Amino acid sequence: MQERVENGALIFDLDEPLAGRPVKDIYLPNAYCSILKRVVSNIFSLREDGGLDLVIATVGKCKCDGMRNIASWLERTTDIPILKVENDNAKGAGFPISRSGLPLLKKMELIVNSVFAPLPDGLTLEECAPKCGFWGVPPYDFGILELFPDETHIFGWTRCMENKTPADIEMECEVASGVPTVFFTQSFCQKSAFAYNLAREHGGLYVEVDKMMSHSTRAKIEAFLEFNLGWRGKR
Amino acid sequence: MSAPSPILLDCGTGYAKIFNLEDSTRAIVPARRFIKKLSEYDIKASTGHNLSSGAGVRVNELVALAEGSLSMVDEPDFTVLDCGARDVKYVQIRNRRVAGMDWNTECGAFAGQVVELLTRYLDIEPENLPSDAPRIPVVCGVLGMTSMFDMISKGKSHEEALAGFLRGVAFNCETLVGRPDRLYLSGGLCDNKAFVSAFTRETIPLGRFVLIEGLRKIYSEKII
Repeated sequence: MQERVENGALIFDLDEPLAGRPVKDIYLPNAYCSILKRVVSNIFSLREDGGLDLVIATVGKCKCDGMRNIASWLERTTDIPILKVENDNAKGAGFPISRSGLPLLKKMELIVNSVFAPLPDGLTLEECAPKCGFWGVPPYDFGILELFPDETHIFGWTRCMENKTPADIEMECEVASGVPTVFFTQSFCQKSAFAYNLAREHGGLYVEVDKMMSHSTRAKIEAFLEFNLGWRGKR
Repeated sequence: MSAPSPILLDCGTGYAKIFNLEDSTRAIVPARRFIKKLSEYDIKASTGHNLSSGAGVRVNELVALAEGSLSMVDEPDFTVLDCGARDVKYVQIRNRRVAGMDWNTECGAFAGQVVELLTRYLDIEPENLPSDAPRIPVVCGVLGMTSMFDMISKGKSHEEALAGFLRGVAFNCETLVGRPDRLYLSGGLCDNKAFVSAFTRETIPLGRFVLIEGLRKIYSEKII
């Protein structure tokens, strides 16, 4: 792969929206994770343009069962080149972004972008005490993150992602005791079993969103923050 | 032209609940009709789905529900469930403070508009439903309705199938709130006796103005 990159190949994060490539909701069942729908749509969209050399599909404990099944389907029924990989790295790289006082949206962007890009030069990350917690994967709709105060710490798989240990289930289950935490999951995601039961265990708020956050979901999170923190948003 | 009436407003998906601050009267009108007559009102404070602008001070629906139920229920510990047209939500009160809350945000299966649509479609009075119909699992509104019409195709009466559907909705609501011994009910479905009796625990309807009572408390105390 290194050779391909040195020869000018580009790497795309298929989880993320690609400019000019709207998600075509035609490849997977309706009731399916919207992130994986985006991944598959991006794959076919890049392939249509003839610009797809290889799909690197993470299929181990580091990702989710859905991608393993999708990778097998693509391998069996298409000519799309698939490289199945597993990331079982157990050596933590730290998670200063997750514990910093940056706006939650900014924190999430930095973590997601850190897959390919180093942190920006001059970025200082000061740890803050958590007022609130956000547990889960990076959401399809980042707008949800704007509802939270800056002193919100990130937990769950996103923290594992920053730590470069995405298969660390123990870390994924960690939350800050006594800190009001929203347990977020994409609808139709297998990790919703985690989110649902961790929310019950810790007295947090279980939130499930398909694509874009609804009015009800927004109001539910706002109420949770208002009841627990007296927080009424960045107004 | 007369001056706009000062009101407190709970504008839900289906209906607008109005409290007139001048004469302390209450009214319920379809939301679609109310929205067309906005200029007739001076909205001092509001809650609910259907008014995103020009609505005075906005209060979160769950906050209004908590405040309203606290002003209507004297017990230190209780649970109140609001069944709206589009979704259901609840707050759990312990020692007169909010200790828990949740909101079914995605699926209309729980909610009043599905019940209202079905009741109208089948042209059945809720009062005429049997009380011993077996519960239909309502995983989601569409799947629940599919099961209901399957029952009818297998020879069950429309009344029995609808009653089973309502029991399925009530079961989902009970799961959401954690099955307390006693449950207070808010919202339009308080008026549906078949729905209220579909619960398997003591269920006490508080009526359709609980959120309005919350707004009144918040507005009078100027805590917004």
